[in-house]
Amino acid sequence: MLDGILQGLSTAVSPVNLLMVFVGCFAGTFIGMLPGLGPISAIALMIPITYGFDPSTGMILMAGVYYGAIFGGSTSSILINAPGVAGTVATSFDGYPLAKQGHAGKALAIAAYSSFSGGTIAAIFLLIAAPALASVSLSFQSADYFALMVLGLTAVSAFAGKGKFLIAVLMTLLGLMLSTIGIDETAGLQRFTFGSLDLMDGISFLLLAMATFALSEALMVILKPAARSKEAEEATRGKLGSMKVTKDEIKDIAPVVARSSVLGFFIGVLPGAGATIASFLAYGMERNFASAKEKLKFGKGSLRGLAAPETANNAACSGSFVPLLTLGIPGSGTTAVMLGALISYGVQPGPRLFVENPAVFWSVIISMYIGNIILLVLNLPLIPYIARLLALPKQLLTPLILFFSLVGVYLVSNNTFDIHIMVFVAAIAIFFRLIDFPLAPMLLGFILGGMMEENLRRALNINNGELSFLWERPITAGILAITLLILLAPLVKNIRDLRNQKASTANDGEG
Amino acid sequence: MTLSKEKLGALCFFVLAIAYGLQAQQIKLLPGDQFEAFTARTMPYALAWLTGLVSFLVLILPQKGSGETFSKVFKGLNWAPTIVMMILMILYGLALTPLGFLLSTVLFLVAGIYTLGEKRWKIILLTAVPSAVGFWFILVKLLNVYLAPGEIFLALNIGA
Repeated sequence: MLDGILQGLSTAVSPVNLLMVFVGCFAGTFIGMLPGLGPISAIALMIPITYGFDPSTGMILMAGVYYGAIFGGSTSSILINAPGVAGTVATSFDGYPLAKQGHAGKALAIAAYSSFSGGTIAAIFLLIAAPALASVSLSFQSADYFALMVLGLTAVSAFAGKGKFLIAVLMTLLGLMLSTIGIDETAGLQRFTFGSLDLMDGISFLLLAMATFALSEALMVILKPAARSKEAEEATRGKLGSMKVTKDEIKDIAPVVARSSVLGFFIGVLPGAGATIASFLAYGMERNFASAKEKLKFGKGSLRGLAAPETANNAACSGSFVPLLTLGIPGSGTTAVMLGALISYGVQPGPRLFVENPAVFWSVIISMYIGNIILLVLNLPLIPYIARLLALPKQLLTPLILFFSLVGVYLVSNNTFDIHIMVFVAAIAIFFRLIDFPLAPMLLGFILGGMMEENLRRALNINNGELSFLWERPITAGILAITLLILLAPLVKNIRDLRNQKASTANDGEG
Repeated sequence: MTLSKEKLGALCFFVLAIAYGLQAQQIKLLPGDQFEAFTARTMPYALAWLTGLVSFLVLILPQKGSGETFSKVFKGLNWAPTIVMMILMILYGLALTPLGFLLSTVLFLVAGIYTLGEKRWKIILLTAVPSAVGFWFILVKLLNVYLAPGEIFLALNIGA
């Protein structure tokens, strides 16, 4: 393990890779700051650029972009109350009121320190947890992998939001359906190609990610333009106030940061959960822990209320790398895009990655830590200047984002047909955005679809076509039991809600 | 129309499930596949049934979401520039082969920026031309990516 760490360290601190972390953090911060564009878009935009790179360098750049995008999202949450990323919505609850009170600089500094601490503590956890899980998962068989993928897809739907479970399941199924287009890998038979040569290879993952996220998000900015507030104007002029944080304030938020880091990391490890859920849970947890007096400050500019979600979302980002690197199963839309990128580099994530490609495995983990330092040391002083980029007129920026998205896919395939498919997919994605159907489960379904089918096929073949492997292997049965619990939880809650509703109606009737 | 946006989405999925299931029957099978537990049709069939079932559940179960009607969701949006931008993207795809990367990109950016409300030609050109040329320079000169010259230029024997 020590050899691996040293190998990873030497890869991560090479001048090129250090430059990539810096570029990634900077580009991610900028893209994450733009309202509407999230980390999935930011990472997807980077994939075509990194095609010629060494896998470690490419992943290091993307990890930097991921962190940067989350940090950039926090910045726009605090400054203009427009989170660029769902994971930073909770940051705006107290960050924006602080900015309105003239403490934007302090809020940004606390966000940066909390993100740094959360990311650092979680990176240490990752250092311990990832190799341990990787060695355990070496004993996993195709049946277990199939069960794990079902768990991941169920969990991502279960965490989609109140009343959205079935809708998220539908979107996951759509992703799985899209993954069946093209030539079936085992039998070599065409499926849903309608005789088109362009569809024989299936839909490119990059095309789908770019069209459903980068392209449709940019088009949504045109479709639903947001009015710019007075605070936004001030922020873009670089008026942020002092960035100093006092000793007492640090003492006050230190325990919050410690608790939220642990919570964030473990939530991030869970398949399907991620930065958004981690940040909301951490915010809720701190409000519960707060004294009655402190509780009143929440939502009005509480430093604890700002530190908790900021720490947790960064810790969750590190946590989400655990299932990706050790099992090859992404737990979120963002890590799904990273998985696609890794596969395109010719690297298959999973337990063997730890053994076969230790440089990639460890350099990604170590570069996360370096990324956190760079975010703190470089981005914090640069924030007033980066904030000015928000002043760039949208009529100039949007066509450029559209251009980068289209060209990113075109450069990889050199096929103009892909541009037309992208526009078509983006139009469908806009429809889904308008009717509030989440797109991340679809992307996850698409990425996992092929692997899921392959593992199910293998498991069935090994078991002579019997489904008994689902309950005969303890690991498979255990994972499926958790899946069942996740599936049943909303149902039980619904029944309970219905009963409560009936009881209250009966009481009203009696009254 | 009082159909809520959730129900509209579910209805679309229900139709999709039927179409997908019917299309799955067209997938050819290999000789002997009838004795196999898993064929190229197994997964598509399972997905079609599951999608049909889940979308049907969303259609018949009581409303859980906002209940907003879809006609309301689609109203009051900036449809015109969005559709024009989509048409421009399609045209960009069509123009790449005959006009080449550089010219078609400049034209796309100029038209896009103009469509989104910037009417000052100096700003439009100062954004579009350096962006296109800069990106082309990075790709071709720094990263050694081959970008085929436009067919028009090849026909005219320019840049070939």
